[in-house]
Amino acid sequence: MINIQSLNKNYGKQTVLKDINLSFKSGQSIALIGPNGSGKTTLIKIILGLVIADNGSIYVHEKDIRTGPDYRREIGYMPQMSRFPEQMKVFQLFRLMKDMRPDVPEDKYDLTLYESLKIDKIKNKNLGSLSGGMKQQVSAALAYYFNPSILILDEPTAALDPLSNEILKTKIRESLTQNKLIITTSHILNDLEEICNHVVYLIEGKMTFNESIEALKEKTSENKLNKMVVALLQKK
Amino acid sequence: MQKICFNIIYDLLKNKAILGYFILLSMVGWGVFMLESQPEKALLTLLQITLMVLPLITITFTTIYYYNSNEFILLLLAQPIKRGALIIGLYTGISIAFSGAFLLGIGLPLLFYYPGIESISLITSGVLLSLVFTAIALLISTYVSDKARGMGIALITWAFFAFIFDGLLLLFMYQLADYPIEKPVLMLSFLNPVDIARILVIMKTEASAMLGLSGAVFQNFFSGITGSIVSVLVMILWIVGPYLMAHRKFLRKDL
Repeated sequence: MINIQSLNKNYGKQTVLKDINLSFKSGQSIALIGPNGSGKTTLIKIILGLVIADNGSIYVHEKDIRTGPDYRREIGYMPQMSRFPEQMKVFQLFRLMKDMRPDVPEDKYDLTLYESLKIDKIKNKNLGSLSGGMKQQVSAALAYYFNPSILILDEPTAALDPLSNEILKTKIRESLTQNKLIITTSHILNDLEEICNHVVYLIEGKMTFNESIEALKEKTSENKLNKMVVALLQKK
Repeated sequence: MQKICFNIIYDLLKNKAILGYFILLSMVGWGVFMLESQPEKALLTLLQITLMVLPLITITFTTIYYYNSNEFILLLLAQPIKRGALIIGLYTGISIAFSGAFLLGIGLPLLFYYPGIESISLITSGVLLSLVFTAIALLISTYVSDKARGMGIALITWAFFAFIFDGLLLLFMYQLADYPIEKPVLMLSFLNPVDIARILVIMKTEASAMLGLSGAVFQNFFSGITGSIVSVLVMILWIVGPYLMAHRKFLRKDL
């Protein structure tokens, strides 16, 4: 579904991503982890076309992302910090987004998160007046709204309350059974453990390991994701 | 692209700053004609205001608006929308809002009290200036990612075109007063869109008679139809040039 080939990115002299090669398939739920500043968000932004790579190429559904923005129809994105136009009301945001996505017919909308997170209750509020967690809820509902086959979630659970957190995780697990591809970054490994079946670890822009959780379990004979990561890092 | 453009205009209409700008222009526009019995003088007052206030407000507001739209831009670019379409939509939306405010605020009273070639040329200059300074503001804000620095550069740019440039030009003329410098000065004034707008309007009014001998070269050039066409063309270059640079930068910018 997503194919990344020898990707490099520098901000000035600072190397952010160095020779990344990755291949993600449908049905995979990727935990993209690594210390702060390891390039996780940059990688995600490059996939979305928000940041432009220095060299290397990315294919989404066999299509080079440099050929045009249409590949983004398949991607639902939940940013790390949800920042919306302050003056806009929640319902206006959804109206705007529907307006921008004429390619998705109305009966294809995925309203489950919109309903279970009760976005309808806050639809007349200004986006600027929402708390960080509420913005994340709106953002999560929006990422799923147009029924994408790929979901990219950047720190989705950090600001959410326990209940919304569970709702989102249930939704992620459910979308795995529908053969979607999910890429999640987070520092809360306990959350990731419940929803991911594959781990990609970045350190200083370099891919340190890229394996399924099953394989990691065998390698490290640990059961918890955080222990596996620690064990692997100590080996290196 | 149209959808983005409509959304920007809709957003701007809700914005109090653009409404304030329109009210300010209307008050000045109607007020000057009510206070001044000679419409010719009123037009010159409006010209001065157009040349000073319009660039200042257009450039600062557009710069602020771009930085404040960062979220909006990120939100839309995560959707299947071309970057090119977004920046064109942004530019068109802001330009329509500013030119509209000027047309309604200053244009209406001008046409009402003083319909004639002078008013038409002032209205044309005002609209062109709005387009020029919106483009320059976009150029600044796409190149400078820091908001405070961007605003600073926008203000310096305004000051440069509003009076620093003229000061330098005067210095140049004063130093070389013994030589026939009318032609070079004419060329140099094309480097400043505010000057082009000023000359374009003044040459249409009787005030041009007071420009003296060196003014005759200007008079010859600008009062004719070629002069008007050339100055409008140069103004269009001042719109297209900065806009295209901003467009190019926006296409390959990290957001």
